[in-house]
Amino acid sequence: MDTFLQVTAYGLLQGGLLALVAVGFSLVWGIMNIVNLSHGAFVILGAYIAWEVQGWFGLDPFLGMFVSAIVLFCVGYVIQRYLINLIVNGPVFITLLLTFGINMALIQGMNLVFTADFRSIQTSYGSNSFEIGNIRIPLVRLLAFLLAIVITFALVAFVKRTRTGISIMATGMDRGAARLMGIRARHVYALTFAISAALAGMAGTMIATIETFDPSKAGKFTLMAFVVAVLGGLGNMYGALVGGLLIGLVEAWAGQYLSGTWVNGIAFLVLILVLIFRPNGLVGKAFYAARVEI
Amino acid sequence: MTTMNKGIQGLKGKGSQRTMLEGALVLIVIALALVIRTKLPGGELRAVSTIFMFIALSQAWNIIGGFTGYASFGQVVFFGMGGYFTAVVMLKFHFSFWLALPLAGVFAAVFAALIGQPLLKLKGHYFAIATLGVAEGMREVVINLPDLTGGGAGISVPIAGTFAKTQYLGDAGFYLLFLGLALFAVGIGTLVSRNKFGYGLRAIHQNEDAAAAVGINTVRSKVMAYSLSAFITGVVGASYVFQQVTIFPERLFDVEITVLMIMMVVIGGSGTVVGPLLGAIGLQFISEYLREHFTNVHTFILAAIIILAVILIPQGAVNYFREGRRTKDYSLLANIRRYRL
Repeated sequence: MDTFLQVTAYGLLQGGLLALVAVGFSLVWGIMNIVNLSHGAFVILGAYIAWEVQGWFGLDPFLGMFVSAIVLFCVGYVIQRYLINLIVNGPVFITLLLTFGINMALIQGMNLVFTADFRSIQTSYGSNSFEIGNIRIPLVRLLAFLLAIVITFALVAFVKRTRTGISIMATGMDRGAARLMGIRARHVYALTFAISAALAGMAGTMIATIETFDPSKAGKFTLMAFVVAVLGGLGNMYGALVGGLLIGLVEAWAGQYLSGTWVNGIAFLVLILVLIFRPNGLVGKAFYAARVEI
Repeated sequence: MTTMNKGIQGLKGKGSQRTMLEGALVLIVIALALVIRTKLPGGELRAVSTIFMFIALSQAWNIIGGFTGYASFGQVVFFGMGGYFTAVVMLKFHFSFWLALPLAGVFAAVFAALIGQPLLKLKGHYFAIATLGVAEGMREVVINLPDLTGGGAGISVPIAGTFAKTQYLGDAGFYLLFLGLALFAVGIGTLVSRNKFGYGLRAIHQNEDAAAAVGINTVRSKVMAYSLSAFITGVVGASYVFQQVTIFPERLFDVEITVLMIMMVVIGGSGTVVGPLLGAIGLQFISEYLREHFTNVHTFILAAIIILAVILIPQGAVNYFREGRRTKDYSLLANIRRYRL
């Protein structure tokens, strides 16, 4: 029983991180109907930036992640405004190919600049942990988990309560009408993508404090973001949180009780089944299905 | 009446003239390919064989992605399954390669028909992501069945000794095999492009509801297109495995193979037969050239080419020049205006 509780706790903590990786991806897919294949590269880039910042200035990763977020915000804004906006109305495989090209360029760039060695961000409190009953909770994982929850709620508040956030939602619902109301769709799209990239950067920093990273891990995070976003329902930010926790739990349990790497296979099976039977996600409603794009 | 008859005869005459011209062109190309074979050293033979392989793959993707408009982002799954089928039956059941080859295609086609029933109901990104999920998931299945597939450690096809029913073909042999596959795939592409089935697929691409309304069985057409494309991909995968001898799941289910197929179709011109053909030759040639001369940054340049091509000629080179000839407008800015926000 203790093992089960321990595994469950780990799964939940890992799930929070997955949710943070996926929430931005889900936002971009939901608002702009773009599947961003370079999302995982943003995550890894965020990790490298925080790693460099710690190396140069000795800045703690929990502060360094804001540097990552700011840099990636700018990178994301430029990529959407000057590249993706140019083909937003194209067929599916055009947008997929463009983001895949960006992904290739980013990963190769990171390979050249940082080499393909494994890295991780070390902190003085990195190995601390505490126990509740018989369950051991590592401090850094708990902090990262709490942060993921706070950021998700902050994002929801931003989108629902601020003028900018509401303009993002409006553009996602009906771009033509939003433009007629004086919303600059190009800017709003770029802003949405920038926010998504910034969140990916924060998630990357958190991941770097917990496990090792290198450029080749980007694909794994992109795929995880798919699975979580589809499970939660596109553009549904609470959905991403639920989806992330669910996948975290499933992964932890499968890792404990199944042999080999069946875990990943199960994640993809869940993805395909959800796509076929509940394409709006487990907690989503048919909100984006009815949107109009002009 | 007579003028009309003359008109029809004129059309027919033009058609048969065109067919003859194309036949002559194909014969010249085959003759050239056979002459080249005797002149090239081994390494170059392998490089040209790879070009042939990608011609076949891009033609296969074009049937489902180009004609039908379903962006199969997990096409590599048929490549991998055809390949693993061949490796397993040759190693465990001592099949000859020539028997395994068509069976691998059938295996991939049947698999495509099974997953196609539910998946082809999905549209746009959902179909793309679901097929990607199938490919990634299937790789995990292969890794986790080590008794059958060798798992992550890989599997080797017998090419010599008592269990080897088929001797290894060698560089020149594989050159011929892949040339044959490329011709086969281009032939199938041409056939699909010109018959009723192909026009049905194009109709589905443009408007699926309207296509159903004029009497096209959309479900059956889509599944058939998917299976046909899977058959070609599976056969190519089988040949690739025999050429490589030892194979690993990471390589055989590599998403980059899918992306290359799509790139070749898109750069060349999707929905045409010539487009993917030229796209495959051009991109593979550029890629090899870059790998040789700019080893460190070749992925970088390739990524830049992908990004620029997708933005500047999203409809593909062949369609770009066709439209340009019709409208007398070769402006790249007009291309950007088409899809931008």
